[in-house]
Amino acid sequence: MELHELCELALKEAQALGADEVAAAAIRSTSRQVRFANNEVTASKTWDELCLNVLLAKDKKVVLTSLLNVEPDAVRSALKDLMSLLAVMKERPDYAPLPEGPFEYVDIPGLYDDELASLSEKAIDLVEEAVNSALEAGGRRIAGTLAFGEEEALLMTSRAVEAGGKRTWAELVVRALADGEASGMGVTCGTRLRDLDPSSAGEEAGRFAKLSMRASKLGPGRYDVVLGRPAGAVFFDIVAGMASAFYVDSGLSCLAGKLGEKIASDVLTVHDDPHLEGALGSRPFDDEGLPTRKKPIIEAGVLKTYLHNSITAKRHGTSSTGNAGWVVPRPWNVVVEPGDMSDEELISEVKKGIFVNNMTYVRFQDYARGDFSTVIRDGVFLIEDGELKEGVRGLRLSDNVLNMLSSVKALSKDIRQVHHWWMEWDTPAVFTPLVLIERVGFTVPTK
Amino acid sequence: MKDLAELAVEMALRMGADYAEARFHDDISNAYVLRNGVPEMAGFERARGMGIRVLVGGSLGFASLNRPDKALLERRVREAISMARASARMRKEPIRFSEEPVEEARWEVKAKEPLGDVPIEEKMALLYDVDKALTSQEEVRAQVPFRLLQLVETETERYFVNSEGTKIWCSVPRVMFFALITVLEPEKGTEQDMVQKGESKGWEAVRAWSLPEHMVERARAIGHVLREGVSPPKGALDIVLGSNVVGLMVHESCGHPYEADRILGREAAQAGESFVKPDMLGQRIGAEIVTVVDDPTIEGSYGYYLYDDEGVRARRRFLIKDGVINEFLHNRETGAALGVGSNGAARASRFNREPIVRMANTFMLPGDHSFEELVEDVRLGIYIKTYGEWNIDDRRYNMRFVGRECYLIERGELKGPVRRPVLEITTPGFYGSIDAIGKELSFDAGTCGKGDPPQGVPVWFGGPDVRLRNVPLGGS
Repeated sequence: MELHELCELALKEAQALGADEVAAAAIRSTSRQVRFANNEVTASKTWDELCLNVLLAKDKKVVLTSLLNVEPDAVRSALKDLMSLLAVMKERPDYAPLPEGPFEYVDIPGLYDDELASLSEKAIDLVEEAVNSALEAGGRRIAGTLAFGEEEALLMTSRAVEAGGKRTWAELVVRALADGEASGMGVTCGTRLRDLDPSSAGEEAGRFAKLSMRASKLGPGRYDVVLGRPAGAVFFDIVAGMASAFYVDSGLSCLAGKLGEKIASDVLTVHDDPHLEGALGSRPFDDEGLPTRKKPIIEAGVLKTYLHNSITAKRHGTSSTGNAGWVVPRPWNVVVEPGDMSDEELISEVKKGIFVNNMTYVRFQDYARGDFSTVIRDGVFLIEDGELKEGVRGLRLSDNVLNMLSSVKALSKDIRQVHHWWMEWDTPAVFTPLVLIERVGFTVPTK
Repeated sequence: MKDLAELAVEMALRMGADYAEARFHDDISNAYVLRNGVPEMAGFERARGMGIRVLVGGSLGFASLNRPDKALLERRVREAISMARASARMRKEPIRFSEEPVEEARWEVKAKEPLGDVPIEEKMALLYDVDKALTSQEEVRAQVPFRLLQLVETETERYFVNSEGTKIWCSVPRVMFFALITVLEPEKGTEQDMVQKGESKGWEAVRAWSLPEHMVERARAIGHVLREGVSPPKGALDIVLGSNVVGLMVHESCGHPYEADRILGREAAQAGESFVKPDMLGQRIGAEIVTVVDDPTIEGSYGYYLYDDEGVRARRRFLIKDGVINEFLHNRETGAALGVGSNGAARASRFNREPIVRMANTFMLPGDHSFEELVEDVRLGIYIKTYGEWNIDDRRYNMRFVGRECYLIERGELKGPVRRPVLEITTPGFYGSIDAIGKELSFDAGTCGKGDPPQGVPVWFGGPDVRLRNVPLGGS
């Protein structure tokens, strides 16, 4: 069944069943993945999916479904069930109707690449290139994932929205291990085959792993920190995620109640920019069909906006920012604005500190306060007199999101697109430079 | 589409696969979310599809689809085989699967109160009742300004068939409740609590959880900690860990590092590897009184299954036995690589995920101490009843757990609340410091994450209360 037929079926059937409002999003995708470890391919995978998501509203009540069974009879039956569910739901005091279309959307170049869509078995060549590059740079055991795919999506709503498009995407993550604990990581990603640089990702992973082999222990305390790009991506994935009004209103954000306030140092500006060429999160319209737009989340340290869909916007007495998710508004591409130093110049600012290439397993004691700790890995180095020295092991970064935002001292000028497995707040892409943060807390095990 | 599973296996063999399997799923999931008293979401997922896995020339290929279309199926099976063939040049050693008995079986969990028989009004009413209880100052004695409550019911029907003749059909209902609450004391700030419950049962499980009462009890305890909690004492202490903490600690520091795919490096780029190496079987890791098992066969448990997603019969695994590293968790690939066979630990979260090595219900076996006996000869210590923030490094060696509901122990007696003690300890440090184990076993539910793309699978983790001797608290 074609996307248009599927959306039309959902719209017509739901309206016939008495829904006031309907949104239907049909997505057809083919995704592929080559996983590797110990310098070998461990599995190759292909996913073929046709999925239909439907939102129904009636009498200020809203219900949703996600269907991976899209046979016409199954869709009809699901819609009937959805109407029964709607009948027993309670009204939402913050109900807002879907945006009234039609809208005009910008054309974002570079979202679809034929070469990437037809990559298939040539993917193994890219993996081999990355693995060889990591081995040459000093890694001994190389692991990672090359994931890529294409999708075609169509959104139709009962409020005259019809928006669609095709996109391709690819992400190559390389982790190199040089001994039990010495590791490095490199990432390359984008919407076109030419955005990928497997050699560089492999080289960076291998080089960091080799550099980490000579390591010392460092005591707990506060140190100036340079966040590498994978770590910066994890940190700003959280910051942008916490700007989602849903999380603000759920106790899952330390940005609650801080709109218009200074929450970060003057040097920090963070945008959500859905129109970047070659970016994984670029899209002309959001899940309600509103045109997307660029907006500052943090500007010169001031929290400028939360991210909204129509309902969260109503709750906050403002208008949608074009970041719908039907339930949870979300950022598209998070861009940390660059500073004016090279990476080397930024590191040379640090007399004694720690370079943290990647942060994983971030867990919060209290989201509303922002207290968290994280496991640091894939290139953790002592910085002394402005230079990277030996690796540092056994430390855990334990601090607070707001403290760290306020303590950003400088940013390098080279921003790169990052997405990897440990970005658990699901930002599609973070563009980040190296970030220098003063006096960050570190702890160690006591026994 | 079930017939297509058998056809997929035939097709794969015809196209040159040395081994093939197909797993058909028909999954239903209904979710209800109440946020601060507002029905934030109600909806459902219906997923029907098939995952196919092939071994070709020592390489592994996987494909999935959700349309019952023979031509599409043939294309995807062909692609799984051609991608596996193409990747064979990047393998030094061929992937093999361990020899396992051919099985034909049907197993199911029959709900006493089937989820579909309970009116939706009743399910939503339960969430409203919990919310009402949490906003009752009289009950909770503290403010709870943020309340995110979620109820999820799922039913999975699976049919597995492979080229060796194994055929397994199963059907399992599950229920899960999750809550994140933020407790506020105006002068003291906030403290949060997270609660998750889950069982492989029908609505009867949800009734037995007594959610409004349970949530009030948790919120009241956190409010008490906020109002009266003092900083923990300095120096080396004796620590009594509640079952809730012990459960997660054994999941993280015994379950995960004993997953043989981590040990062999297959998860290195994502979740990580393990400090445990194959030659460490038989080595002492902790006190002789410590035994940790993983057991999928506990009826009603959240991680319950009788055959895994490779069609291998499930059994209890003794990971640590009497303080000694005893057994790893295996699927057929790792079982062949280490020459021991599978012990039925292969799980896939959905039809479109490959089965990988997973835990089911991981817990420390109980000992012989009552709670009073654990506490009575502690001169100065703390009781960490529940945890908040936690993490562990990717080798599963260096872990941190921050207490939520905690109390001081002085001269053998439980005293007032302690706020945020930090237990930051190595894995051998933890298992080596245990000197007494309680006799009451209890479990918590969780959704364990692993794999790429990520797969969340339902698990229980549990244990009795345990006592650690002479452990300095961590933190800054």
